[in-house]
Amino acid sequence: MRSLGTAFVATAIAVAVGFLIVPTLIVGAPLEPVMGLVQKIFYFHVPCATMLFLSTFVCAGGSVAYLFRGSERGDRLAASAGELAVLFGLCTLVTGPLWGRKAWGVWWQWDARLTSALLLELIMIAYLLARRYGGPAGRKLSAALALFAAIDVPLVYKSVDIWRTVHPKTTVVPTLDPRMRPAFWSAFLLMLLVWSLLLALRVRLEAARAELAALELDAEDILEAAS
Amino acid sequence: MKRKIRSSARALLAGALALLCWLAPTLAAAQEFQKVSGAVREELPAGRFVAAAYGFIWIAVLLYVVSIARGLGRVRKDLGDLKSKLDRAGPRP
Repeated sequence: MRSLGTAFVATAIAVAVGFLIVPTLIVGAPLEPVMGLVQKIFYFHVPCATMLFLSTFVCAGGSVAYLFRGSERGDRLAASAGELAVLFGLCTLVTGPLWGRKAWGVWWQWDARLTSALLLELIMIAYLLARRYGGPAGRKLSAALALFAAIDVPLVYKSVDIWRTVHPKTTVVPTLDPRMRPAFWSAFLLMLLVWSLLLALRVRLEAARAELAALELDAEDILEAAS
Repeated sequence: MKRKIRSSARALLAGALALLCWLAPTLAAAQEFQKVSGAVREELPAGRFVAAAYGFIWIAVLLYVVSIARGLGRVRKDLGDLKSKLDRAGPRP
């Protein structure tokens, strides 16, 4: 429980750093000549999308461990990462249209990148729903869904290179203006730190729930024997 | 009866064709670009979009942290209740 307190403090510090240092770097970064100020959404939109991909891969990895080795730890990791995928997916799908409305003039375009990203988010929501309401087979069903979600990730990433879309291509980050890089990479690192801490906290919650469930089973036997 | 239906169908078709001929110049004009002077250009405040995007991300993360903390608090309370119930029941077999 002490380490849990430390994790909460670390999360709070990370968020405080996010509010203080990273916005300063983002404000200091030069304006993009075509899009202007609204391009600054990019500094958190891309890290959020990357965390969505990372969460989906972690969820799929945990699901593989659960499906093929019966690993309860893998299942707990998958459940935690699944929630984070939905959270960061939501952040990506909200910040993207806010950027698009100003840059493209529309909130949404049914192009390959946006549609496949929405599909990924829907699969991850289905993962959580199957887990919660799927009954005894829910965990296995959701683990299979996580594998489909992981397959969708490369499709989402490469969609802008394969099909013609309004979304910027994958070359945006490697060819970023050197004066924009400190802001981008600091935002990326911050988001990665926040993601790691959230995952650690969520796995701990899942472990505590498992401990409680095991103790409840033991308690039933003990209380029956005592009465 | 059949003749009546045929004649009404012909009349309908003739009416539709006449309407199309009458509308044709208007429809054609709608396909052309016309210069408008003094039109107001749509200017969206970029600052609000940036603020909304950043605000949404941090509020979502903070709400998630709060939900985890509440879940942990609940589990901890249930564990405490269960342990005290077991203690009251006596020593474990």
